[in-house]
Amino acid sequence: MRISKILIVDDSPISRRMIKSSMPKESGYEFFEAGDGLQGLEMFQEVRPQVTFMDLTMPVMDGITSVQEIMKLDETASVVVLTADIQAKMIMDAYQAGAFLVLKKPPTKESIQDALNKVEERES
Amino acid sequence: MESELQLIGTEEKDILQEIMNIAFGNAAAELAQVINIFVVLSVPYIRVLMARELPEYIKSEVTGCDSVSIVEQDFWGDFQGNALLVFQSGAGRELAFMLNGDDGIFEPGVTDRFESEILMEVGNILIGACVGKLAELLGDVIQYSPPKVLIENHANDALPQNFFDASCSAIILKTMFRFNDKDIGGFLFLVASHESIGWLKGALAKFMAQYDE
Amino acid sequence: MSELKQIFDTINLGLVIMDRELQVRHWNRWMARCSKIAPEEILGRRIFDFFPMLEHHLSFQRNCKSVLAFGSYAFFSQKLHHYLFPFPPANSFEVKFEQMQQSCTMGPLRDESRAITGLFLTVEDMTENAANEQRLIEMNSQDALTGVYNRRYLETRIREEFGRHRRYSRRLTLIMFDIDHFKMVNDNHGHPCGDFILQSVAGAVAARIRVTDCLARYGGEEFSCLLQETDLASGMLLAERFRRQVEEMEHNYRGTKVRITISLGVSELRDDDTLEQFVKRADEAMYRAKTGGRNRVCPEPERFELPFNSQLIAAEGPLAGERPFHS
Repeated sequence: MRISKILIVDDSPISRRMIKSSMPKESGYEFFEAGDGLQGLEMFQEVRPQVTFMDLTMPVMDGITSVQEIMKLDETASVVVLTADIQAKMIMDAYQAGAFLVLKKPPTKESIQDALNKVEERES
Repeated sequence: MESELQLIGTEEKDILQEIMNIAFGNAAAELAQVINIFVVLSVPYIRVLMARELPEYIKSEVTGCDSVSIVEQDFWGDFQGNALLVFQSGAGRELAFMLNGDDGIFEPGVTDRFESEILMEVGNILIGACVGKLAELLGDVIQYSPPKVLIENHANDALPQNFFDASCSAIILKTMFRFNDKDIGGFLFLVASHESIGWLKGALAKFMAQYDE
Repeated sequence: MSELKQIFDTINLGLVIMDRELQVRHWNRWMARCSKIAPEEILGRRIFDFFPMLEHHLSFQRNCKSVLAFGSYAFFSQKLHHYLFPFPPANSFEVKFEQMQQSCTMGPLRDESRAITGLFLTVEDMTENAANEQRLIEMNSQDALTGVYNRRYLETRIREEFGRHRRYSRRLTLIMFDIDHFKMVNDNHGHPCGDFILQSVAGAVAARIRVTDCLARYGGEEFSCLLQETDLASGMLLAERFRRQVEEMEHNYRGTKVRITISLGVSELRDDDTLEQFVKRADEAMYRAKTGGRNRVCPEPERFELPFNSQLIAAEGPLAGERPFHS
């Protein structure tokens, strides 16, 4: 699946900046950002990105719930969850909610590229 | 309180906030996997104060505890200062159960000695994890003094007024932690010395430079 | 030889370097001398191959992991851990401890990229310090470990009670007891566990005595309990209660479950007693309890003669509870 639109949902503008900067340059991606889970959901509906990067701990609507809501809208959506506190239970919860991948924060160029590759390889 | 922006700018504070989120998140994850200590470290909080305001500030933050135990440790690298872990009294015994994953009944006659021992060991590990991960992200290497149990089971206004070097300013990084199964909570205050703040600004800029082109 | 290597081998401190798998990479001369293990023997081997008790030492394990994961430091104080390595005390004049008392520090070692490649361990002989501290504590009346009275205080109290007995013919009974197979507890579970047991037992017994009674730690694992206004029979009853309670206790030390028993001897103060005799009879009774199978109470050795100073009897009143032919 070719990626053209990427949605980043994270309540920290610094974190969004870090994720965006880790993306491969000159790949023609269009970026969209949201500051909480609810906004993220609205933006997902509007934009329909090929991949969404989602932080877990957010106000208004947390990451897990947001993932679940996105999956309800589109069960083929690719959501990559990012968290610093990467523990077994959390990982399981994320996958059960429908996440495609779980990444450890801080994001790196390698981990982000790897995630994008996996999303592209995915059958629609 | 003195103006906070003199020492550290708004954006710098945001960067430090995110770095702390990452550091403490990573710390909690590794504590769980490596040491089998399951702890939730809450999103940290940053203030800049004059050192003389610290005892009063800490006292006002530690609400809901009649008496507390404090573990204190000095750390030094380019980033240096004091770490204070403030637990509710009696936490030592609760932590002892938690560490052994066992619900053995505590014997009568067990003295404060073992509570002190547990607090120091857990305190040392927690502080080492949080400060260690923070230092790792900022490219620093830290050494530590042996931990001290500063006061035990005293009312929480017993932190000596002259404990911190009064002339300095300090950044307080405060987090709350909770051990999941047992409701043992407390606070972690990292007090970075005046000298560190200059270095910190540089380190924060360097960190973001990795991400910006 | 490089200056660092000289320091490494001449410093009066144990220095061990281990890699991430806890295989020994360096073993300095101090460690070699105290352990009688040459560097060639231990290099490349896991530390647990030579010191298996460390593998079950929860604190040691936890702290190794912490140091390797976070680059933190770990501190093993003598007061709490006594020692990590079982070495004989270096100083032959010091007989208070069977093993060298140690204070140890552990920290990370890094390579050029600052990755943690291993850890170092320092071992400091604290035997003399510990002995000095013990002497200081003994000067007070409290036993530092258990919080009960110490021997010195007990003896003072007995002397006081002698006077009271003489003046008012108050009955006075002494229970001596110690923990059965205590050495085994230390050998199998470590000294911190042994300390914990002492505290638990002291606490349990302390809870069952009156304000006017005096519980003291008489020696290493030996306690005595002085009972005012108590005759031998009552003393025996109480001793039996102690025995039963301790037998039923299951001690839980950091996840390890331990059960122990105590052997008790009881004596009652006699008119013609000296302090030494009074204590000795209780002690002998305790010894009989031990040789008789342990976990039991024995009264003082039988009296084969009544005091024939009838004037004394008349003046002080009858010594009730005296059963010259009891078993």
